[in-house]
Amino acid sequence: MEQHGLISKIGGLLRSGEISCTELTKKYLETAEQENGRLNAYVRLTPETALKTAAEVDRKLSAGEKLSPLAGIPMTLKDNISTSGIETTCCSKILQGYVPIYDATVWSILKQQDAVLIGKTNMDEFAMGSSCETSCFGGAKNPHNTERVAGGSSGGVASAVAGNLAAFGLGSDTGGSIRQPASFCGIVGFKPTYGAVSRYGLIAYASSFDQIGPITRSVADAALVYDAIAQYDPMDSTSSDKAAPAFSSLGKDIRGLKIGVPKEYYDGIRPDVKAALENALKVCQSLGAEIVEFSMPSIKYSLPVYYILACAEASSNLGRYDGIRYGTLTEHYADRDEMICRTRSEGFGAEVKRRILLGTYVLSAGYYDAFYKKAQNLRGTLVKAFEDAFSRCDVIAAPTVPMTAFPLNFTARDAVETYLTDICTVPVNIAGLPGISVPCGFGSDSMPVGLQLIGARFSEPALLNAAFQYEQAAGDDVFRALETGVAR
Amino acid sequence: MVTHEEILKIARLAKLSVAPEELDGLTRDMNSIIEFADAVNSVAAEDSGFDNINNLSNVFRDDTVVSSFSREEILKNAPNQEDGYFLVRRRS
Repeated sequence: MEQHGLISKIGGLLRSGEISCTELTKKYLETAEQENGRLNAYVRLTPETALKTAAEVDRKLSAGEKLSPLAGIPMTLKDNISTSGIETTCCSKILQGYVPIYDATVWSILKQQDAVLIGKTNMDEFAMGSSCETSCFGGAKNPHNTERVAGGSSGGVASAVAGNLAAFGLGSDTGGSIRQPASFCGIVGFKPTYGAVSRYGLIAYASSFDQIGPITRSVADAALVYDAIAQYDPMDSTSSDKAAPAFSSLGKDIRGLKIGVPKEYYDGIRPDVKAALENALKVCQSLGAEIVEFSMPSIKYSLPVYYILACAEASSNLGRYDGIRYGTLTEHYADRDEMICRTRSEGFGAEVKRRILLGTYVLSAGYYDAFYKKAQNLRGTLVKAFEDAFSRCDVIAAPTVPMTAFPLNFTARDAVETYLTDICTVPVNIAGLPGISVPCGFGSDSMPVGLQLIGARFSEPALLNAAFQYEQAAGDDVFRALETGVAR
Repeated sequence: MVTHEEILKIARLAKLSVAPEELDGLTRDMNSIIEFADAVNSVAAEDSGFDNINNLSNVFRDDTVVSSFSREEILKNAPNQEDGYFLVRRRS
């Protein structure tokens, strides 16, 4: 069932004894070390943790113990997911040297399942960016073309998975940060329904938007990982117990499935990207799905609503970085106020400062009603627009990004132009919906294009099945596995 | 239009300093973002009643005693500490 998947394939190799988990892990670690100079996907490798887990998996294998589906699978975590005893920096100068004393819930779950952590991966600083280039370690590169960005903000995970330096990874998606880099790197990125996966231990950017999810080689892999991590967690007060398992739903017929195509998503996208998406829709129709076209005019307010609310939440969340309890502290200061101000000014990069300032502005007296309150009301309007859309169709098909991966150091004319690249991904976060990006071909520049499928809240089984059926029917024409790394 | 003075005021509120050479660029960026964000004001104001995505209210845990982190663990990442406390310079 995993045409392009690695998880079941690797699991099979381990269970049949064709390779030991220690051998496999060493290969991944060596390859990651060699390739990282080229891709900059990892900011820290974790050989000790990896080899210790691998030895435990080998012991369980030789003892004939039953292994979980993710046991022994080489994987990675974005560097904003807390790992006890392993430095976690959000790729920001302000958190360099910070070693969490507890694990994020998602990592506790994966640890219990004996998943093998190869290392922590690169990201835009505090998950703010669309190219991975705001990282204080420099950006991750796209394995399809190292002159192009891997995308952001989970660019390191996407680069590692596409470049075969990990079989899967967990990223976080606040405005598209899982789906956009997956689209740029030609792999699968899945953002679950808000609340389905615990955010405990995820270093916060914008709490009402942030969601952890898998970046994988196939939809089946995404479903396997989702099923493992989608658990109710009392440590996260927004965690839900409504998530239903998805893997067992894969393979169901999609004849009669209504695929919604809101025209606003397709306005102004690059012609070659549009052509790839039209082909994808034809593949879905050949499977018996029905295309339903309609209009969602309120979509056009998504970006301003997102940037107002996300920056407001960021300005509050990032208020905790004062150099007192953790993180780096400025060297020179006369008094406490100067200490805090200097620590923050030296520790945060330009994009983070810009978003904190915007957030402070929209929350400040005199502007709160005009911006924050208004955006919050419009958020409600957008939630209702999606509810209305899902009364007409079962899933929505849209571009993930209106273009393919841009060149390194691509300088947009201004901040707004850069923000516009998130136009197709942010509506999902505003409404807390699940969304998945699946490769659907290549642009005229030979770079991957992503098809985004969006479902109603907690419709993961049906959404992932639709993505799976598309992926199986589209075949290898839209998916070119890269000949680098270990397991292919 | 946001002025230099307003940017400096917001920066003070956010506990960030803005170097004189950053001020022009930052003001320009902020103005273009704010102009773009102002699109929300072109729609009629109505209360959509939106509260939160999960329709949650008052999520409380049971009032039971549970073990937490030790003082040593909590202080592990502190840049300055003394006698089991976070060390912060006195306000001048």
